[in-house]
Amino acid sequence: MLMLAQDRFLSRLRGVVALLACVNAMAAQSPPPSPATSSVADSVYDAARPRLLQIRTLVDAADRQSTIGSGFMVGADGLAMTNYHVVSQYALEPKTYRLEFRAPDGSRGSLKLLAIDVINDLAVVQLDKRDQPYFEFGARALQGTLPRGERLYAMGNPLDLGFTIVDGTYNGLVERSYNERIHFSGAINPGMSGGPAVTADSRLVGINVAKRLDGELVSFLVPARFAAALIDKVRHGGVLPIKDVRAEIRRQVFAWQDGLYAGVQKQGFRVATFGAYRAPESAAPWFNCWARTNADQIPKPRASANSTNCNTDTRLFLADDWGTGTISFSHTYAKSIDLNAFQFAAFMSQQYRPATRGGYSRKRYTRQRCHDDFVAGDEAAGRPAIRAIWCARAYRDLEGLYDVGMVAVTQDRSDEALLSKLSMQGVSYENAMALTKSFIGALQWAK
Amino acid sequence: MGKVIWVEVLSRHRDVVARHRCVGPEIRIGRGYGNDVVIDDAHVAPSHLRIFRDDEGALIAEDCGSLNGSYVDRDKRRSQRIALDGERLIRIGHTFLRIRGAAHVVAAESALQSQSPGWPRLLGLAVALLGLEGGLLWLGNTQEPKVLYYLGALLSLSVMVLGWTTGWAILSRLFTGQMRFERNLLIALLGLLGYSLYDEVSTLGAFAWSLYPLHSYEYVGMWLIIGALVSFHLREVAPARFRFKGAVVSVFAVIAIGMQTLAKSEGGARIDEPTYVPYLKPPALRLVAPHSEAHFFAEVDTLKPKLDKARAEEPDTGGGLLDSDADD
Repeated sequence: MLMLAQDRFLSRLRGVVALLACVNAMAAQSPPPSPATSSVADSVYDAARPRLLQIRTLVDAADRQSTIGSGFMVGADGLAMTNYHVVSQYALEPKTYRLEFRAPDGSRGSLKLLAIDVINDLAVVQLDKRDQPYFEFGARALQGTLPRGERLYAMGNPLDLGFTIVDGTYNGLVERSYNERIHFSGAINPGMSGGPAVTADSRLVGINVAKRLDGELVSFLVPARFAAALIDKVRHGGVLPIKDVRAEIRRQVFAWQDGLYAGVQKQGFRVATFGAYRAPESAAPWFNCWARTNADQIPKPRASANSTNCNTDTRLFLADDWGTGTISFSHTYAKSIDLNAFQFAAFMSQQYRPATRGGYSRKRYTRQRCHDDFVAGDEAAGRPAIRAIWCARAYRDLEGLYDVGMVAVTQDRSDEALLSKLSMQGVSYENAMALTKSFIGALQWAK
Repeated sequence: MGKVIWVEVLSRHRDVVARHRCVGPEIRIGRGYGNDVVIDDAHVAPSHLRIFRDDEGALIAEDCGSLNGSYVDRDKRRSQRIALDGERLIRIGHTFLRIRGAAHVVAAESALQSQSPGWPRLLGLAVALLGLEGGLLWLGNTQEPKVLYYLGALLSLSVMVLGWTTGWAILSRLFTGQMRFERNLLIALLGLLGYSLYDEVSTLGAFAWSLYPLHSYEYVGMWLIIGALVSFHLREVAPARFRFKGAVVSVFAVIAIGMQTLAKSEGGARIDEPTYVPYLKPPALRLVAPHSEAHFFAEVDTLKPKLDKARAEEPDTGGGLLDSDADD
């Protein structure tokens, strides 16, 4: 199945709900998807058909599917590739779920999970069938020399309607994305997750992974080289015992966030001016920033508030109810128009809380612990005193990873203030403290 | 010496409900109509008690052989013969009696003094309360300053206070025969004013001293104030045994505090309840010196082992912790 959401990903549960609803509605109203018209597509599909798989996660006790996705053969040794999010239920709860494949010829069988890459949303599974035809990796795709505009064919089993081929165009890597993803302009739909996207000569370019719900035909593929690397690892003995899945996820996320935070620190901060203050904005290209003002509000606001809000596009899918990996920060500069000191403090209080993402789940996180205090400024360095909150919670299953939310409000004036927030998901305590120190240290008076 | 003897019938609350003036060397009390004082109590014998003066002239009560007997006040032992001093009560059946001779000395006249605190004082308090509440509303309002906003809130507050007072006044009327509306209103106003001030001081204090417990345990003071309020109302309803009532109310207050504390610690409360002072006040109200940044991060660092401990301790809810996860 496919992850679909505003922020690119959607929990599988919601995906399933949408999928079932879609199946019913479409059965009643819509004609079946029109077949690919070009003869190239015809030949690509004919060649691909025996190499495609539908991958189902079944609730073991009920023997019914709870999720469906796609996959494809990558070797004569029975290895197949799919998305991590297609098999994540089984990976995390192997006693409750089991995996099954269905081939286009109607055959079916069980699957063994061999390896996962949660950062790139990939998984390697093994069939009990050998000597199946399989997809070859495209050398041009691995080297990244594919020209923009090249026609690609994505395949999979959308919405459980049957195996389908979709053509679209290669649009290079997504710009300003920390995790490499190919921008594919084509209609990928839920259920096609984990399916292959190939060139006209049937060479693998990427793996279907997600699409943007707020756009049309804006879809994403995981570059084939990550799949090649994962398969390579499996063939060199890197098979993951199912009981070690959580430890492996922890290892991957921990190493990944170390890289991400080192990158953010390395890219440094540039200074943005907000009224009487200057505040840091990450110079890293992975942040999407949006500005907001209350100037045009009716009734007329009694304090002006201008804010910018920046998020990374780095959410990692771990489970349906469990995402991590984002960093976000915001700055709000507010100035009283006709509020007195108490009223202005009340106005600022409305936003005075750490930005938390991901909701609370007792299963995933400990309860949060907070520290709040007045922090002295530094007259010489041009830094105002602040009031700050730090809240953190630990991941139950991922030792050494935390969600952290921080807020700082300047305390030097009674009629204007800068309120800055920083929130980090799935970060080591050291990285979170280091980034927060850099962040707080850059809150200054405008010259 | 006067031969007049007064027989007073008292309620269980020790209020005189009937008073009989009897003359004669001997007075008979019972349910029968041949008595000097007729008692309508099924547990009283037709001829139950006899009052007379002994050789020294002291008043004596003697049981005339009733089934249920005669007792001194709440005494459990039957008394065949009771020497009366004018204060001691006699209980026959469910009826309390007090016997006094005409020579019984009463307390000196107490000066005429109104029980009512006086309307000007009450009005002053009400204005102070409404002024305080209105002022706090004004200080917290960041929306358009609409008169209706303040009037609505203050009106509902007034209605609440009057409703509360009326409730207690009705209880007072039931038990003492007097509404004591003004006294009850005084108590309600003082209680609410006290709470408002307490609430504001602890709110400001939590910010000024950056003291989270002052905010999180604010309810302790609230329950104590409610307890005191109810105790004083109860004293108006029935002044007797104020200490006992105070103790009962205290127990309830302690139970309430305990329940709330338990809910807090066991997470029955909202799980994402902020554990920091969740509001800002004007920076000028800060009363503590700000800590250095190094101190802030040192404090932040101390949270880490607590989180790791919580991670290890809290019950697994089915997800399963890492098996290989030996805590170092």
